[in-house]
Amino acid sequence: MKLRLSVLLATITMVTCVAVLPFIYRDMGAVVARSHEQLFIENSRTMARLLAQQFEVGEVFGKPKLMGNLLDTAILNGDGRYAELIGPGVSMRSELNAAGLGFPEREDLGFGMGGDKLYFIKTPVSHGGQEYELRVGFDEAPTQQVVAVARRALLWPLGLYLGLLTLAGLGLGYLVTHPLRRLQRLARQVADDPDSQSLRLDTPVEEVAELAIDLQRMREALVAASVHLRAQISAREAAEQGRAMLERRLQHRERLETVGTLAGGIAHEINNALVPITLLTELALREAALPERSRGDLQTVLAAARQARALVQKILTFSRSLDDALPVPVDLDEAVQDALKLFRPLISRGVIFGVEVMPGCPQVMADRALLVQLVMNLCTNAYQSLPHGEGAITVRVEPVPWQGADGMGVLLEVSDTGQGMDEATMARVFEPFYTTRQVGEGTGLGLSVVHGIVQGFGAHIEIESRVGHGSTFRVLFPAATLKAGPGAELPAKEPVE
Amino acid sequence: MKKILIVDDEPFVREALKRVLESSSVEVEEVDNAQAALDCVAAASADLVIVDIIMPGMDGVQFIRALRARRADVRIVAISGGGNFAVGGYRPDAISTQAYLAAASNAGADAVLAKPFDIGELEAIVQPMLAAPAPAPLN
Repeated sequence: MKLRLSVLLATITMVTCVAVLPFIYRDMGAVVARSHEQLFIENSRTMARLLAQQFEVGEVFGKPKLMGNLLDTAILNGDGRYAELIGPGVSMRSELNAAGLGFPEREDLGFGMGGDKLYFIKTPVSHGGQEYELRVGFDEAPTQQVVAVARRALLWPLGLYLGLLTLAGLGLGYLVTHPLRRLQRLARQVADDPDSQSLRLDTPVEEVAELAIDLQRMREALVAASVHLRAQISAREAAEQGRAMLERRLQHRERLETVGTLAGGIAHEINNALVPITLLTELALREAALPERSRGDLQTVLAAARQARALVQKILTFSRSLDDALPVPVDLDEAVQDALKLFRPLISRGVIFGVEVMPGCPQVMADRALLVQLVMNLCTNAYQSLPHGEGAITVRVEPVPWQGADGMGVLLEVSDTGQGMDEATMARVFEPFYTTRQVGEGTGLGLSVVHGIVQGFGAHIEIESRVGHGSTFRVLFPAATLKAGPGAELPAKEPVE
Repeated sequence: MKKILIVDDEPFVREALKRVLESSSVEVEEVDNAQAALDCVAAASADLVIVDIIMPGMDGVQFIRALRARRADVRIVAISGGGNFAVGGYRPDAISTQAYLAAASNAGADAVLAKPFDIGELEAIVQPMLAAPAPAPLN
């Protein structure tokens, strides 16, 4: 259970007071009562003493009427209710005594005893050598009433006292909790909006003021720590992203290199095997006496060998890093036009072929022949993806920003409305010998060669594709001005020695 | 009669070359590895050496350097089928026959020929070399 501090303080004050006040009231009431009773008893004794003296010196013995009058005065003056004189030969009562009232067996030793609301005392009277006894009873009720009034009068100041203390409790609680609540509000503001004003609080309560200062210090330390942490986290995230990207590229490159090594080895073996096939077939063909049928067979062997040689040549090109092709500034759009001259005659009439060349394209560092091959291969790939040779192929060349130096680049985009690729195909599309075509329709080297050429010129390639909707290949070249001009500034070739 | 030394680890290649060259009435010796070729008698007397570049043990580039150091007058033709192997302390960063052949040229080969080649290509290189007198020794 949660309690407001001010309410708690007031409640504690009130409960304490309520618990203590009855005792105070009782004790004060007792003091008041005792003083009144004391007075009543002294008065009663004095009255009885005076009456006894009047009997002793008043010459009333033997005169019943006078004695009766004297006894009556005890009742007529003040609070007397009973008067009686008893002695040798005398037993006299006042006629004013209440009816049926008799002196009790014993004297009252204190106020309020006997349960009769009367205070009975005996006083000795000496007269003429004889001892008499004066018995008087006084009414206690008026004194009791006075005491009751006095007791009631006590309740007012005590109630006031209780009220004041409760108010004081509430006030004290407010005095302490108000600055605390203000501090709490400020702290909430700061929590909701870290950029809000600092946590400053003017309060006469020293502890709260110090608490505010401490909280502000803590907040500053926390803000500093949080800024530091955030910076660390974002730095780590950036590093992680960079590392992941590098890793992906390395993996990709590694895989291509592995396949490249394998392809290189295979190429070597096939080339060696083709030497005797080519040379000895040719040698055999030189025989004049060769039957015509065998000559035809040998020509076929030779043609097959040449085909194999061309295939191996393709294999060797796919990851070539252009060792022997010196990059020079080339107009990409011109290379595109060259490639399309070669490509257009190869496509069927059902293909809508579009070329968009935007003005203002900077030159790129490349080898023109390889660029032509790059465009040819991309277009061939696009063409082969068109179902039944029908659809659209669009080639775009446009200047684009490049992240770095003076920020210029050229985008070559080849898109088709063909069958598109799924994720798995896209991931492997640059691998040598990977093909989705029927056997005999493609070697699976076209895009590997594209990849090799793109890498060799420091360009980037990306693919966007949707199954059933077509693919877009984008090759982004840095502008030639980014690199130093041709010639001396070209990266030196690795020395042979 | 002109003497030709063939150095290649592939027996079929050696055999084919020998058959083609012998038809032009020359004397042909063949060895299957570079180290043995350097040590053989023909190495000192051959007019023309046809050497493969990628071979186990000593490779063609190293062989050309060693032979060229001994004999400035011998004509050397390097042949290669490419691949992705280190040769002569050089590893091409891509599989390219041209890179190997360039390395052979730098090491001292007079001509280079990418495998496979046809008889016409071979003869176009070899015939002029055999016809011309050997260049005079440097010293």
